[in-house]
Amino acid sequence: MSEEQQQEEQQVRKQNYSESEKTDIFDNEFMVHVDSMYNFAYRLTFDEDDAKDLVQDTYLKAFRFINSFERGTNAKAWLFRILKNSFINEFRKKSKQPSKVDYNEVEQYYNSDDAGANITTDLRVETVQDMIGDEISGALNGIPVDFRTVIILSDLEGFTYEEMSKILDIPIGTVRSRLHRARNMLKDKLVSYAKEMGYAKNE
Amino acid sequence: MQKMNKEEMGEFSSWFKQTFKKCYCEQGNLIDEDRFSELVQLVLDGEADDESRTVFEEKIKSCVKSNFTYEKEKSIQAEIKAKLCAHRSELPKDLAQTIKNSVNL
Repeated sequence: MSEEQQQEEQQVRKQNYSESEKTDIFDNEFMVHVDSMYNFAYRLTFDEDDAKDLVQDTYLKAFRFINSFERGTNAKAWLFRILKNSFINEFRKKSKQPSKVDYNEVEQYYNSDDAGANITTDLRVETVQDMIGDEISGALNGIPVDFRTVIILSDLEGFTYEEMSKILDIPIGTVRSRLHRARNMLKDKLVSYAKEMGYAKNE
Repeated sequence: MQKMNKEEMGEFSSWFKQTFKKCYCEQGNLIDEDRFSELVQLVLDGEADDESRTVFEEKIKSCVKSNFTYEKEKSIQAEIKAKLCAHRSELPKDLAQTIKNSVNL
């Protein structure tokens, strides 16, 4: 058996937790992340009720499949992966801001050579310093969800590229390039916003 | 969760080196700031390996333009991160209890 096969087998190996162990894991390893989970859900759905439903649904699934979770491993990444899959499979369809864009096409575009010409990187530090959190959050909310997600996972939740690649089911090289594009898109939004508001006289 | 294997790490390291070379002309001047900012991102995110980081740090000590780009990216990223982190939605008071009730805990 190859190393890769062994790793995969290990990954799906079922645990057999007692009821008290399940309660302990749920309380001490899962529930401690509820605040991060809710913030992630809210930034995906933009709606308080949808975010609450998404988080609740995630925890129900986590409890149902608790024997697939290996104690002491990264519970936060495991939960985020379930939440992301629930969002894609169920909530994206009924989201109050439904996606009308094919994000694979968007990503192909942003990964192409053509994209460079449209990406602004002349954002000034002072411009960002002048902005408030609400304005930066607004700009983040204005970029496509797949790009927004990598910024949230990296900059707000502190996941590594490796963890993000597992949560999002994409290669680590794609995490790197997507995050770079996402940050450029965010900067672009901030430059446009600064110009509109008259913050950036020389940008 | 699986750990990144040696092949993936090697691939990442090679990518860094190749990209780094493309950022500079034969005279050693920075000619591709956008590409360079992708490397800066890796360094700031703590994803560059030791060897790549050393090469990078040596360069920013001697190249004013590279150093300027690095410091600018670092400041912008830190500002954005700090403001986004401070702007979090408040957890609805009943949510944690509702979740626990729903799984009978």
